[in-house]
Amino acid sequence: MLIGIDVGGTTTDAVLVDGSRVEKTAYVPTDHNDLLRCLLGALDELVRGVDVSKIERVVLSTTLITNMIAEKKTEPVALMLIPGPGANPRDYNLGPSIILDGAIDFRGKEIDKLNVHQIKEAAARIKESGVSRVAVVGKFCQRNPAHEERVSQIITEVLPGLKIELGHRVSGHLNFPRRAATTKLTLATKESYGKFAAFVVQALKERRISAPVYILKADGGTLPLEGSLQMPVETIFSGPAASIMGVMALTPPGQTSVVVDIGGTTTDLALILSGRPLLSSKGARVDSMLTHVRAFAVKSVAIGGDSAVDVNGGGLTVGPERRGPPLCLGGSCPTPTDALRVLGKSNLGDLERAKEAMAGLAGKLNCSIEKAASMVVDSVVEKIAAEINEMFREWEQEPAYRIWEIMKKEKLQAQSVVGVGGGSIALVPLVASLLGVTSIVPEHAAVANAIGAAVARPTVTLNLHIDTERGEYVTAEDGIMGKVNDRQMSLTQAEQLAGRLLAERAGRLGIEEYAREAEITSSEVFNMIRGWSTVGKLIDVRMEIPAGLLSSWRCS
Amino acid sequence: MPSSAIAGKTGLIFFPAFDWAISPTHPEREERLLYTRDQIFEEGLMDLPQIEEYKPRLAENKDIARTHFCVPDVESQVTEAHLIAAGSTLTLADALEKGEIRNGFALVRPPGHHSMRVVHGNRGFCNINNMAILVEYLRSRYGHKRLAVIDTDVHHGDGTQEIFWHDPDVLCISFHQDGHTLYPGSGFVNEIGGPQALARTLNVPLPPGTTDEGIHYVLDNLILPILEEFKPDLVLNSAGQDNHYTDPLANMRFSANGYARLNEKLAPDICVLEGGYAVETALPYVNTGIIQAMAGLDYSHVREPDYVPGAFVQSEAMWREIRKTVEQVNKLWAEREEMVQMALESLGDFYRRKKRIFYDTDMINESQEESVRLCPNCPGYMTISSSAQRGYGTLNNAFCVSIPRGACSSCREDAKEEYEEHLEDRRIGYVYLQDKERDKFKFCNNMTHTQKGY
Repeated sequence: MLIGIDVGGTTTDAVLVDGSRVEKTAYVPTDHNDLLRCLLGALDELVRGVDVSKIERVVLSTTLITNMIAEKKTEPVALMLIPGPGANPRDYNLGPSIILDGAIDFRGKEIDKLNVHQIKEAAARIKESGVSRVAVVGKFCQRNPAHEERVSQIITEVLPGLKIELGHRVSGHLNFPRRAATTKLTLATKESYGKFAAFVVQALKERRISAPVYILKADGGTLPLEGSLQMPVETIFSGPAASIMGVMALTPPGQTSVVVDIGGTTTDLALILSGRPLLSSKGARVDSMLTHVRAFAVKSVAIGGDSAVDVNGGGLTVGPERRGPPLCLGGSCPTPTDALRVLGKSNLGDLERAKEAMAGLAGKLNCSIEKAASMVVDSVVEKIAAEINEMFREWEQEPAYRIWEIMKKEKLQAQSVVGVGGGSIALVPLVASLLGVTSIVPEHAAVANAIGAAVARPTVTLNLHIDTERGEYVTAEDGIMGKVNDRQMSLTQAEQLAGRLLAERAGRLGIEEYAREAEITSSEVFNMIRGWSTVGKLIDVRMEIPAGLLSSWRCS
Repeated sequence: MPSSAIAGKTGLIFFPAFDWAISPTHPEREERLLYTRDQIFEEGLMDLPQIEEYKPRLAENKDIARTHFCVPDVESQVTEAHLIAAGSTLTLADALEKGEIRNGFALVRPPGHHSMRVVHGNRGFCNINNMAILVEYLRSRYGHKRLAVIDTDVHHGDGTQEIFWHDPDVLCISFHQDGHTLYPGSGFVNEIGGPQALARTLNVPLPPGTTDEGIHYVLDNLILPILEEFKPDLVLNSAGQDNHYTDPLANMRFSANGYARLNEKLAPDICVLEGGYAVETALPYVNTGIIQAMAGLDYSHVREPDYVPGAFVQSEAMWREIRKTVEQVNKLWAEREEMVQMALESLGDFYRRKKRIFYDTDMINESQEESVRLCPNCPGYMTISSSAQRGYGTLNNAFCVSIPRGACSSCREDAKEEYEEHLEDRRIGYVYLQDKERDKFKFCNNMTHTQKGY
């Protein structure tokens, strides 16, 4: 049996899954001041009367990191940058930072030396400020980490006991400002996350649950709790990821669908393209900074069941602000929820109060109460449908750098609109009918998020960069470096190396049994020509276990 | 100092064509923009609010036929890579016209500025002229009349020059390393355009070894004042990067900072990449600098690893030569109206010239006879009779007719007659009619008697 728990914004949802069957569900209200308590509350309710020895896996999706960052409860971190030539580091929105001399180029060659005196001086200033955590990030240090390591060594000599995080160990992808942001956030959340993980382990032990505990990441993959300690930021935005994985679990495989989660003030939209959830092309934006965290592309539209409805100059507007609950639920402002109640499309709230809300609008619009209600609903449905079309358009317009990518990019059309979350049941069929596609509101739509967490398989990526002229390789994920002796290394050899490194990485993360599910998603070779002869090759291989479902789960 | 805010975004299309090369070891190969990719992606330039990245589209065959006579047809001269590179410039033109961006940079390959009006093959690494295609698109689609093309590549932009040779509304200024010392061996001060458009083509040959100071002297004392007077709707930059001091194919001493400052001062509406083959030592830095300058970002931190400010000094002799050239070209510009008047008085109803064009990449020799009707009522129609040879055999013969925008009815009739007359001529393989006024393009294969149009 599998357990999935999603600590969401308003409720904490939990499910117990046996094979492909949802055995049991549980909900408790989320208490943002004590996430652990609501998590365990939901768990206790779920496992009451269940033989805990039959639980094979527990997966958690939590807003812990999201909340910490939103509430500015992260630990203070000093940021040291080695930007080298290029952009002015002050043009990046990274907050205060210390700029160091030194530079590495795109091939990993040192082009400017570090200044030891300057580093010591910077360390002294950090000591004075009382900050005990330092993130050190250099441009192109993923191609050669020598500078980051040397800076770390000097700081440690001057200020022993300081906590240091190096950029190349957090991410080896191109994009220095995103790497700096990710490194800083990692260091700022690591200890709190570690404490939370320790509590979870302890609490499960007390409940005699010996099954392994996994955490859900923003890319819809699961990772053993232990393995996730090094990358707490990856767990951000796991809520939407849980819902999207839930839709994958509850709809037929391979479909192109739109996931619609209509809440009180916002509606979240996501795309599943031919069975693969669409990842955000720019990485997750956290605390107004772009990061290297892989996250599903989720579009939040400021419209929902509680959006305020107004009539201005003969026209009707819905949202974006919320002025309290719907009239039919004791509020003071007409909302789409009141309109749905009047039209008999929902049973939520008091009918007479809902009619009162629509009567106010009808008076100003000079039409019947029912007409006013349909106008409100149409306006919401049209807005959501327009945003869905825009999302497909944006996906089609994503940049591409190779001829084949531009030639092959097909125009995809949604086959279905899938509603999850409580607010979607009434509106999703209307959105689907406006778009001319099938509407799906799955049986367990309300707990799709928890199901998604329960049955999501691990994800792993491995980006290997090989420079045969320099005789080196480096992996983007954890900055593992090694030697390559063959200048004429073939792509097949490179792909074999990538496979081996991916298996090793999976082992370190505690998911070695999934390594064989990895696939090569892109590989390319550039011959380096100097003069008229080939002096070496640059090879890039990308492998991944993409977001997917455990093989034990079959959509019924 | 962090960069100051300028309203409006810079549109960027980065299309490195990582799967296209002339040949595996050719300078125009897959690797060319690889390190540029690494640098601009690592800088995170695309994430900045000042920059909007666009996806390129494919140019249509019609966009090509509006500019070129491709022999035998567009499909056999261009590959998908060419259509994407040309299409990138059109995507940026649309974004500019819609007001989505303030300016744009098509950082794309393959390049185009050596391609001329008639295309039999590849010359100077170019098959079709991206810049000229952009100019014709801006005119036919958006009705722009006056445009300025500033060619900042180290090689003479001979293709662009040839295409707009007779057009007084397109100002073409090219500065480059002296044609005595570099491909294509042209671009001397006396090349100033056809009789109706004298001094709307201007060439500034510079001595090998010209530095930042020399090039900025030309910009400040020639190009910027002339642009001020010409008042184009848009300024376009054929932005080659091979004036750089490390370029393996040329001998100039321009720096990344010099390029960035040039684009800041020139403030082009659209930049289109041309050449530049120092793939590791120049391109990553030059491109970063140009993008930053266009976006109003601080480019003072861009510096090549081996660059020492003040290391390159121009000799007094070089300075004299540059000053003299600038003076000569300024004089030509000042006298343009009189020159046109005198030329037209001395010529009859037609202006004719013969020329030979060598396609270095494809080893083709072309001879042309060009004729322009000097019409008092309109820009006049043009015909080109072209014969291309490869080795000892004839490759193709073509007869091309072009009807300009604003053509009078008599020129239109005469042009159509010329086209019809040559349809029967068995010595000519292909006959073309380019009607820019109506945006219709057709051609006939005389051997098979089949007509086709775009």
